[in-house]
Amino acid sequence: MFKAMIRRTLLSVLILFLVAVFVFLATEVLPGDALDVYLSEDDVSVMTLEDIEEMRHDLGLDVPAPIRFYTWLSGAVVGDFGFTIVDKIPIGDIIFHPLLNSLQLGAIITLITMPIAFVIGATAGYWRGHRTDAVVSTATIIGYSIPDFVIGTVLIIIFAVWIPLFPAVIIAYNDAHPLELLAVSLLPAITVIIGHVAHLSRLLRAGFIETMNSDFVERARLSGVPERRIVLRHVLPASVIPTLNAMALYVAGVLSGLIVVEKVFGYPGLGIELIEAVDTREVHVVQAIAFLGAVLVVFMNLLADFAIIALDPRVRSHVSER
Amino acid sequence: MTLLDVRDLQVAYHNPSSGGLTLAVDGVSFKVDRGETLGIVGESGCGKTTLARALMAYCRPGGVIVGGEVVFDGQNILELKDEQIRELRGSRMAMVPQDPLTSLTYHMKVGPQIDEILRIHQKLGAQAARLATLKLFDGTNLPAPEKIYGRYPHENSGGQRQRVVIAGALACEPDLLILDEPTTALDTTTEMQVLKLVKELRDRLGTALVYITHDLTLTDYICENVLVMRDGKVVERGTASQIFSAPQTDYGKMLVSAIPRVDADIAEPTPAAEKKTEEALLKVEHLSYRYSQRWSIEALFNPQEEQLAVDDVSFELQRGETIGLVGESGSGKSTVANIVVGLMAPTMGTVSFDGAPINMIDKFRSEDLRRRIQIVFQDPLSSLNPRCRIESILTRPLKIFFGMSGPAARDRAVELLEDMELSADLLKRFPRQLSGGQQQRVAIARAFTAKPDLILCDEVTSALDVSVQAHVLKLLKGIQVKTGAACLFISHDLGVVKQVANETVVLQKGQVVEAGITRTVFDHPKHTYTQLLLAAALRREDYADLTLSAPEGSSA
Amino acid sequence: MLVNDKTLTSILTHSPGTTVGVALVSLHLLSAIFAPLLIPYGPTQLVGVPLLAPGHPDFLLGTDVIGRDFLSRLLMGGRTSITVAMVGVMGAVLIGTFFAVSAAYIGGHYDDVIMRIVDTKLSIPGILFVALFVVGFGRSVTVLTIVVGLSYFPGAVRTIRAQAMTQVPLAYVKAARLRGESTLSVIFRELTPNVIEVVVVEFAIRTSSAILIVSALSFLGLGISPPTPDWGLMVSEGVNQIYEAPWLILLPAVFISTLVVGLNFASDGLANALGLDAARGMHGG
Repeated sequence: MFKAMIRRTLLSVLILFLVAVFVFLATEVLPGDALDVYLSEDDVSVMTLEDIEEMRHDLGLDVPAPIRFYTWLSGAVVGDFGFTIVDKIPIGDIIFHPLLNSLQLGAIITLITMPIAFVIGATAGYWRGHRTDAVVSTATIIGYSIPDFVIGTVLIIIFAVWIPLFPAVIIAYNDAHPLELLAVSLLPAITVIIGHVAHLSRLLRAGFIETMNSDFVERARLSGVPERRIVLRHVLPASVIPTLNAMALYVAGVLSGLIVVEKVFGYPGLGIELIEAVDTREVHVVQAIAFLGAVLVVFMNLLADFAIIALDPRVRSHVSER
Repeated sequence: MTLLDVRDLQVAYHNPSSGGLTLAVDGVSFKVDRGETLGIVGESGCGKTTLARALMAYCRPGGVIVGGEVVFDGQNILELKDEQIRELRGSRMAMVPQDPLTSLTYHMKVGPQIDEILRIHQKLGAQAARLATLKLFDGTNLPAPEKIYGRYPHENSGGQRQRVVIAGALACEPDLLILDEPTTALDTTTEMQVLKLVKELRDRLGTALVYITHDLTLTDYICENVLVMRDGKVVERGTASQIFSAPQTDYGKMLVSAIPRVDADIAEPTPAAEKKTEEALLKVEHLSYRYSQRWSIEALFNPQEEQLAVDDVSFELQRGETIGLVGESGSGKSTVANIVVGLMAPTMGTVSFDGAPINMIDKFRSEDLRRRIQIVFQDPLSSLNPRCRIESILTRPLKIFFGMSGPAARDRAVELLEDMELSADLLKRFPRQLSGGQQQRVAIARAFTAKPDLILCDEVTSALDVSVQAHVLKLLKGIQVKTGAACLFISHDLGVVKQVANETVVLQKGQVVEAGITRTVFDHPKHTYTQLLLAAALRREDYADLTLSAPEGSSA
Repeated sequence: MLVNDKTLTSILTHSPGTTVGVALVSLHLLSAIFAPLLIPYGPTQLVGVPLLAPGHPDFLLGTDVIGRDFLSRLLMGGRTSITVAMVGVMGAVLIGTFFAVSAAYIGGHYDDVIMRIVDTKLSIPGILFVALFVVGFGRSVTVLTIVVGLSYFPGAVRTIRAQAMTQVPLAYVKAARLRGESTLSVIFRELTPNVIEVVVVEFAIRTSSAILIVSALSFLGLGISPPTPDWGLMVSEGVNQIYEAPWLILLPAVFISTLVVGLNFASDGLANALGLDAARGMHGG
């Protein structure tokens, strides 16, 4: 069992390394270096070649890419992502508070989404083919088809413009108190939750239906085990196990959703920071945010793997005994 | 005294394409007395599994009981409320399903799954249920019940799992026990142990049994009365010995005559010995194979498996002859076939074909060598590309091996189909549109497109119904004689091997335990394992005791 | 030969949801294709007084904040994102099919390398992945299409490979190998036709997801750039007039939502019709 866990952990580290390589390639090698990305054509037309070379030297970009990558990665693993190009502010300082704010909102969303999706998925799966299932299936397809930004904007129109219950735009600073942010998190959270509940519950429904059709459910039924106990004791664990990895990837979806709602509502998180960084072509900030997002996803995947190892005895003995 | 009275029972399934109902069980009536054992026999698709479930007022998803009565102990259970039926199931009527591995909940230990039944029906406390379960395990001859209790289903062997399921079914000492092909997923020798156990338990507890099976010989062993089903209807009924000795209907006669019997006389004498002077076509010398792991992160953490899949196997096959390679699952017989055909390379030893070594895998073999050795696989459907018409399935190898195409290739394909007693109309069909027997005949025809010198048959009949088996074997033998090809016939079924093989090699755990002229091996088996296999095939109980001393694998 | 033994009509009318979905998608596709013929004004031309309300005799749906005809912009607003999504996903699924099937068949280190690349991409959340490319290569329709392709490539490889893995151990593949078919021939002739259902469904599902992503990117200012009419962009442009002209947000919102809802209903019906859902029919025995 522990061998299996160590194995998955090493694999996760490998994936993170590959992510780092990829992030670096996409931003600093293929399009040229950080400066090439940063400078617009207008900038280049007013600067002399010497100016540019001097700037390149100041930024430490006049060394070969592998060395720059090594410098960047060795900083990144301890949370040091370098400085912004324009103001030379440490990137850690810029993203620290937004990161916490985003994590707070993301955690709220995940904690609400999971149980709701669970109940809906299991209910629809159990009543497969009945009216409940048809209604739920239709609702979930519509739920994940409507873009986050549309749901968010429409919620604003309804609850801020037509019925002025909430402010249309959140006004809060990066270092606002968590409780202050919690108070304004309702509409952003609902926006992301709608789509993700729809998605996850469909996933769980499929897992549930597959398990309900299995031989062991039939044996339990023919042994006189009450339905309630069959669902809770036999089916639920078996239907969750195969969806755990997909749930971990779902975190990646929440992150994408967060970026959108933060922009819609003006919530002071990483999304706002990211869009600003892309606009001002602050390469290092984008790198840092992308890398941190991947760390979170890989970490959640690792947790899912551990949960599977703990829950599924077949996987446990398969990886440790073979 | 009648325990179960089934009257004109009809069960149907929703047909998703037409939206209507298709009858799977069509007006079946029968009675079972207390303590009686009734066998229900039929080939795949005859509705016997559906019938078995309907006896407990249960249908699989999409199924519905559309008519008739199931009177259990004086009460039509089809009229009961869900809750009342639930109380009957597991306590007064119980079922042993076909595959014990998938029928036990994989994420629960096996002990608690039996406790559950006792706690529900007998309202036992946790401790009392545990003790009762251990006692049941002991009663089903499970070694070390305490240990088994704490294991997960996959950690037990097939035989152990089926004993666990039987223990669960008998937990509340039901009046009626329905067994749905309880030994089909097991090896022959294990099957015999389980059967013997069922018989003992029945005699001890006086339980009435309904035994569902495709295997007529089993009913001869365990049942008093037998129903033969076909297309959802009962076509023949009587005592087991009646049906066996004097079947009334054509279908019954065909079914009985088709059984490959181990004790049957071989029709033709075996002309083996004098040919030995010639050089053998296929020579297998000290062949060993070990599954090795390729380099990966996994391999770093997992030590190499030491067990050899094939361990020092030697035999020779003469031109035009047939060797039967017999053994249970895991005996290495399919590995031998895979090595000969070139899907795997041997770890040690040599395989020679027509005097030249052929240890290399297929891509290093010459086209001519690949052509001369052909293989027919176990599952006929999966061996034909579902997206290709039969025509292209048969003409493709003709093009590759002989450069034939167009009408010439088509004519040759038709000729081969005719050898297999199939009509040329099939050329335009897709494999899924054919029956299992037809598919396997097409697969055999495809192997013979290459005009092979050696044909490997890997369990070619085990996926087929008995009535189809006999026909396919006859055709196979016919085309083999016509083309003069030698055949390496791999099977777990001794009866089948006896019909086709001149010589027989018995494998156990990768090793040859006995080899020789088929008749000698069958009439005077020397090795205990061969004796055991034969005894199991003959349903002889005296030999079944031998198996109890034989080691049963501890994990699957 | 399309797929299975199902006819196209039986797939299209599989369930009421499917029919509605197919109708919505057809309507959107037709209006996107013929939009240049239907529109009364150029979508980027300033033709009227800003912020006219819908119902105006000259401008059926009013005008936007700088006086462009809103109907023309709405009709033209799906073309770019639909094209980007379809071309990107088509590329991803076609190339992905080859890599997926070959990885499943060849296995070994080749498979390992492909799957690690897939895992790497799947670890980077969608919008962050796009942001990396936009910051690196700038914002253009070409970059966007390539990024969409790259975004959906790994997921497509994973799903199709899983299906191919169920086929590789089957005897017909062994038989092909043993009669000396080349690796490419096994991949294209034997395996690919047997994963085609998954490929078709994959294309349908990923396209709707890609349209969502492209419009979200445009909304965020990372995708299609002004003045090109685009629904996502129009919603974000409308936010400033949220009090006085909410229809500037609601109308493009309805267009994009109906398109994606239609696509998802259609692909769900398609998947069901091809038997790719957990639904199981009759059990014999």
